[in-house]
Formats: sequence, C-alpha cells, structure tokens
Amino acid sequence: MLILKPKKDFEVSVEAEITPDLAEKSEEEIKNFEVWYGKYKVKLGELFEIKKEGDEKKLILDGDFSRVKWIGRGMTEGEIVVKGNVGAHCGAFMSGGKIVVEGNADDWLGAEMSGGEIVVKGNARNLVGCAYYGDLEGMKGGKILIEGNAGNYIGEKMVGGEIEIKGNAGDFIGTEMKNGTIIVHGDCGFVGGDMKGGTIKIGGKFDLLPSFKKAEDGWIGDVNVGGEGKIVKI
Amino acid sequence: MLWIKNGIVIDPKNGIEGEKMDIFVKEGKIVEESEVKKEECKVIDASNKLVVAGGVEMHSHIAGSKINTGRSMRPEEMRVVRNVAGKFRAVVGRVLLTAPGIGYEYAKMGYTTAVEAASPPIGSPHTHEELDAIPILDKAALPVFGNWHFVFKFVSEKDQEKLQAFIAWAIERTKGYGVKIVNPGGVEKWMYGSNVRTLDDEVPIYGVTPREIITEVVKANEALNLPHCVHIHCNNLGVPGNYETTIETMKLVSGMKNENRPVLHVTHVQFNAYAGSSWRDVSSGAEEIAKYVNKADNITIDMGQPIFGHATAMTGDAPFQFTLHKLIGARWSNKDTEIEGGAGIVPIVYLPKNPVHALQWAIGLELGLLIDSDKVVISTDWPNGGPFTEYPYIMAMLMSKRMREKELERVSPYVQKASSLPAIDTEKTLYEVIKMSRSLPAKILGMENKGHLGVGADADIAIYNINPNEVDPSAEYDLVNKAFRKPAYTIKDGEIVVKDGELVAETWGRTFWVDATKKVSMEAIEADLDEYFQNYYTVERINFGVDERWVKKPARLEVS
Repeated sequence: MLILKPKKDFEVSVEAEITPDLAEKSEEEIKNFEVWYGKYKVKLGELFEIKKEGDEKKLILDGDFSRVKWIGRGMTEGEIVVKGNVGAHCGAFMSGGKIVVEGNADDWLGAEMSGGEIVVKGNARNLVGCAYYGDLEGMKGGKILIEGNAGNYIGEKMVGGEIEIKGNAGDFIGTEMKNGTIIVHGDCGFVGGDMKGGTIKIGGKFDLLPSFKKAEDGWIGDVNVGGEGKIVKI
Repeated sequence: MLWIKNGIVIDPKNGIEGEKMDIFVKEGKIVEESEVKKEECKVIDASNKLVVAGGVEMHSHIAGSKINTGRSMRPEEMRVVRNVAGKFRAVVGRVLLTAPGIGYEYAKMGYTTAVEAASPPIGSPHTHEELDAIPILDKAALPVFGNWHFVFKFVSEKDQEKLQAFIAWAIERTKGYGVKIVNPGGVEKWMYGSNVRTLDDEVPIYGVTPREIITEVVKANEALNLPHCVHIHCNNLGVPGNYETTIETMKLVSGMKNENRPVLHVTHVQFNAYAGSSWRDVSSGAEEIAKYVNKADNITIDMGQPIFGHATAMTGDAPFQFTLHKLIGARWSNKDTEIEGGAGIVPIVYLPKNPVHALQWAIGLELGLLIDSDKVVISTDWPNGGPFTEYPYIMAMLMSKRMREKELERVSPYVQKASSLPAIDTEKTLYEVIKMSRSLPAKILGMENKGHLGVGADADIAIYNINPNEVDPSAEYDLVNKAFRKPAYTIKDGEIVVKDGELVAETWGRTFWVDATKKVSMEAIEADLDEYFQNYYTVERINFGVDERWVKKPARLEVS
C-alpha cells in the first residue's frame, strides 16, 4: 500500500498517470516516478509525501487532488482511494480494479473505460464515461457509481457497462449511445439524442426529444438514426 | 562539398542500373569529379549501399484548406505525439500530420520533393503559408481549374486564346505549378445538389460538358507548353463501373503528343478503376485501364494505393465526398463550395476483411504491377489512401509475389474472384520501383533537375542500406521494406538531413512556380477578369493571389 499526500497547494495542474502498480515498486522508484507539473517534468517525490506500507496494490491519496489529472489512467487491477476531490480524467481507459473518490470528481471521469469500478461519494462533473473527441466509442464496460449529482454529457457513445447517478444530472445523457445502461435516479435534461441502442433509466423529471416513440414501458429511439435505444421511467 | 564513395547507383533517367560509382556534390548540385577538391569533401562511405535520387511525390495533400479542415475535424488524429519540441519542432498526427511533420516524415523515407495536388485558387495564400511551414522538401502546388467559371466561359466560347491567357494568369497569381482538374463540371453541379455522370452531362448555365472542359484545357496546357501536363482527377470517382469513364477520359487526348512528358496525368486511378454496377458486384477494372495506358504513348497515372488502417478521404470532389459520407456513415465536412471549386472531408478506415476495402487495395497493386514502370507512379494520394510513410510497403509488394501471397491470406477472399491480383506473377525490379518513385514523377512534372543523379541535378540523394546487386527483393521483401523506411542518409541540396533514419538537420526547400505570362496576351482577358471580380468575387482583383515576395523561397520557372 502506498500513501501519497500533496506537499503544497498546486499552482498549476499536475498530470500524474499513477496506478496501483506503483505500490509494488521500491520507494526509490516511486519517488523518481515522472509526472508533469504544468509544463515541467518533475519527480513524484517533489510534489508528494510518500509512505509505503507493504506491497499491496493499493493507493491512498490523502488530501486535495482536485488539480491532479489522469489518476488511475489505464489501470488494470488493484485499488485507489482518494480521500478528497480528484482532478479530470480519473480512471480514463481503465480496464480493471477499483477507484473510490470520497470527495468530488472533475470532468472525464472513467472516459473510455472498459472494465473495473469507480465510486464517487460526492458529485462528478461533465463527460462521465464519454468518448474522447473524435473517437467512435466511449465507455465499453465496468461500472461508475456517482452518489451525488453529475454534469452534462454522460455516457456519450457508450457501448457497454453501467453508469449510475444517485442524484441529478445535466443535459445530453447517452448521446449516440449504442449499448450499456445509464441510470439517473434524480432529474436530468435532454436524453438519448441519436442513441442507437442501450437503456437509460430515469427516476425524476427529464426532457424527452420528439424523436422518441412511446412504447409499452417507456420510449424507443432515436428514430432519426433508426435507433432501438430505450428510455425507461423508474 | 560531398564525395559519396563506392555507392551502388540506380539512376533510371541516365540508364545506370546498379553500377558502383562515386558521386560528387558542390553547392547543392551534382557535379563532375573534376569540379571538387577531394581533400575538402566530406566523404560518405556508401559501400554496399544503394544510392538513388531523392524521392519525388507528385500527388499528395500537404497544404491548404482541406488538410487543415481535416486536422480540425479529427482531434483523434492529432492526439498522437510524434515529436516533442526540442532540436526539431513538435509534430503531432497519426496519419494526418502537422506541417513540420510532413517535411520530416518524407525526408525520413528518402523523399525530397512533394507537390500539393489540389489548391483552391482563392485559398492560395493559405496553401503557400502552409507550404512555407514544411521544412526540408522542395514543394509546389497545383491550383484547381476544372470547375472555375472563367474556364467554363472560355470553353463554352471555344476561345483558346482567352483560355490560355487565363491559365497563365491564374498560375502566376496563385504561384501555382500546373493545371489540376478535379471532377470537371461535377463540382459545379454539386452546387446545384447533384453531380455529372458522363462526359457529356452539361454544366448548369454554361452548358459545357466534362468532355469539352478536359479537351480544351489540355489543348491550352499544350499550347502553353507548361512543364507539367494536365493533372486530372476523373469524373465518377468512387462509383462502381467508373473504369469506363476513366478510359473515355484518356481517349480524349489520343493523337496529342509532347516530346518531353505525357499530355495527361490521371491521378489516384485506383479510385477510378471499378467495374460492376454496384458495391455488391463491384470488381476490378484495372486490367482494362492497364491495357489502355500501356498502349497509349501520352498518358501516365499514379496508383492511389490504399493502406490498411486509418486514412482521411479529402478531395476537391465535393459530391463524391458526400456520397462517401452517406455510404459509410462517418462524419463529413463540406468545404470550398463558395469558391472556384469544392471539397469534402470524410474519415475512413481501410479494413483488410472488408471486401470493398480489400478490393481497393488489390486494384491499386494491380495498376502498379500491370502498367509499365515508365507510366505508373507510386502514390497513396495521402491522406486519402493512407499514410505516405507506407511507400516502402508498396515498393516491396510490387517487387515480391511471395509478399503479396502472404498479404493476400489476411484480406477478404472477395479479391480472389473480383480482381486479378492473385494471378499476377509480375515482380517489378528495384530499378523499376526507383523509376516509379523518382525519375518518372520528375519527368511528368517537368522538373529537369529532380529524380536523377546526372551532372547538374539538384543534390537530392537517398542512400539505403541494401546492395541492389546482392539483395533478392522477391525473397527478401522484409529486408527491402525495412531498408526503404530507414535511409542511411537523406541529402537535400547537398546537406545531410537524415542519418540512419533519424533527422539530423532542418533545412528549407524552395517552392517552384511557373510563369507563362510572357507567352500570352493578358489584354484578351482583362475585361472578363474585371467583370467577374467586380460582380462575383468577394475580393478585389488586386487582392487576389499571392505575391512572390510572400513566399519563403520561391523558385520561378519561366516558360518561353
């Protein structure tokens, strides 16, 4: 297990592609792990206090990580626990393991992830589980659970997995979605534009596009693209 | 001064086929041995290495509005970092590249000259700004004429004098190099929501047909005796059955002759070589086209070879791009419809298991194999067919039946019945592929100092780690493929720019442009130009085009 604590309030963003694999390395290697601090390449040890306790594949990020981006990028196994807030792109491209964020998450949470689990105890911002601009597929598998609210663009171009939001969400939920499930327990805005498949379940109020047909248990669309996606009330 | 010692030289223009010889360079030119002081020369030991002229790219989309729109609509392409700024400039791009990357990647393959194949005339200041951002290479741009209202007008009036004057004026104003025609008449018809389907379909208002446009423009080009012949992207591109249109187009110039070069260059013919009536029964029309081209003595083509993987279709053929967008469902940008042409951009991925893509791949190779090596140039029509960095793959494939057999195993079996590729035994020689990538394109472009190693040529030289007298390209295709990707040296204007496949210096090449204005009387078209600019253009005539002083290193070629 590895415990990281920021040494200071960061003036600019840190880009740290750290995964639980780091916990297996020697203390020396961990300290020398390269990250970006703004436009400068620095060593992890310069920005964070590092404490290593055994070889368990687990990271504890203790403090405010809201300006630290790309945490858990492409992780395959192990666990990351963020005690505070976390920056953008957390868990992007991850294929396994678990990330728990006790505070809030920034944009691009779990973007294009294909497996594993992300739990956010607070709120998440925009573009959860989305495809990066220009890419054809967003989230492919795994699960994202947000206990608070989420922003706009949730699960864009999603092809698999599940996103569950306990609170409210913004506009453009499941745009161009092909498969998978999005659950919003609260209210949200426009839903399912150009969706081809998959299911969106909504607990509260939402804005229905005119391009959805009424079905027995909800709506089917988006008819503009010949879609068979489902919107269901829960 | 350079002394390239003991290299094994292949120089098709000068008939040198694998001879061991020395080459001397002084002030950016290849010179006689007696011209240099040997003790002052930097010596390059080229023993057991292949020494050839720098590659000449005659059809690629390296600058201008299309490539730039392609970059902005494909962020996923631009996320690939190829080079971090340091000694050289930053480069991003997967298949599309930023401007510095174009220069670097061509040089890293041993290519030293590249021509932008379709520059929208009013956009020529943009084209030249971008050409000026491409290091190392010598460059040129071909403005598009096939859908320009002036051309329609003068063709409909059958006024050769005005047409010639206009072409000379336009090439001078745009600092262009030659005449490009893209889907003549069809792009104009696109502005009314359709396309031309035969050479005899009429263009709205002007009433001219593609047949008339092509014939008259070729005549004008020949009367002006421009260094490059008319460079045509045929009508009906990307339509099953279009090989007939391609051959009909070629027939339009039968009987015309130029001593120094062909009179018509038909570009990326792979996209214009489909038989059949739909995508369900499409097959290769390459054999028929090859038969015609081999027989004709005034036509050359380039392959437009697709490479499996990512590509971006971008042509001045706006209606075709719309059809492609509808066909594959990928995103689409329509460009330049408001100006003297049109363009479209659609991302595409060529997949080996897709029957149509595999057939396109096979047709490109068929053309390369079936057509004589002094009539077909290697090209991918970058970025339409895929990355130009795969030219070594194409060269190796053309030289090895065994490599083709291996590659055929991984592609859709559809090519077995729809193309003749599996049955072709031809293996081009190293001499022939060097011709197809050096001396032939230079000849078609009318660039006398390019594509060869004779005395007086520009000292653009590539040295590769293979000995042509020892290597067997048919069996050792992997070796050949690798060697052409990593030149031991690339020399541009006498300076070493690449060593062992790595960049070592950044130089700046010239931009060639052609001035034929002395051959014509401008007075003939003054009134027409003024009228059009006053009534239809968004800029004043005086603000149209590019002044020579705006170009970084202009090289004017005067036609007399």
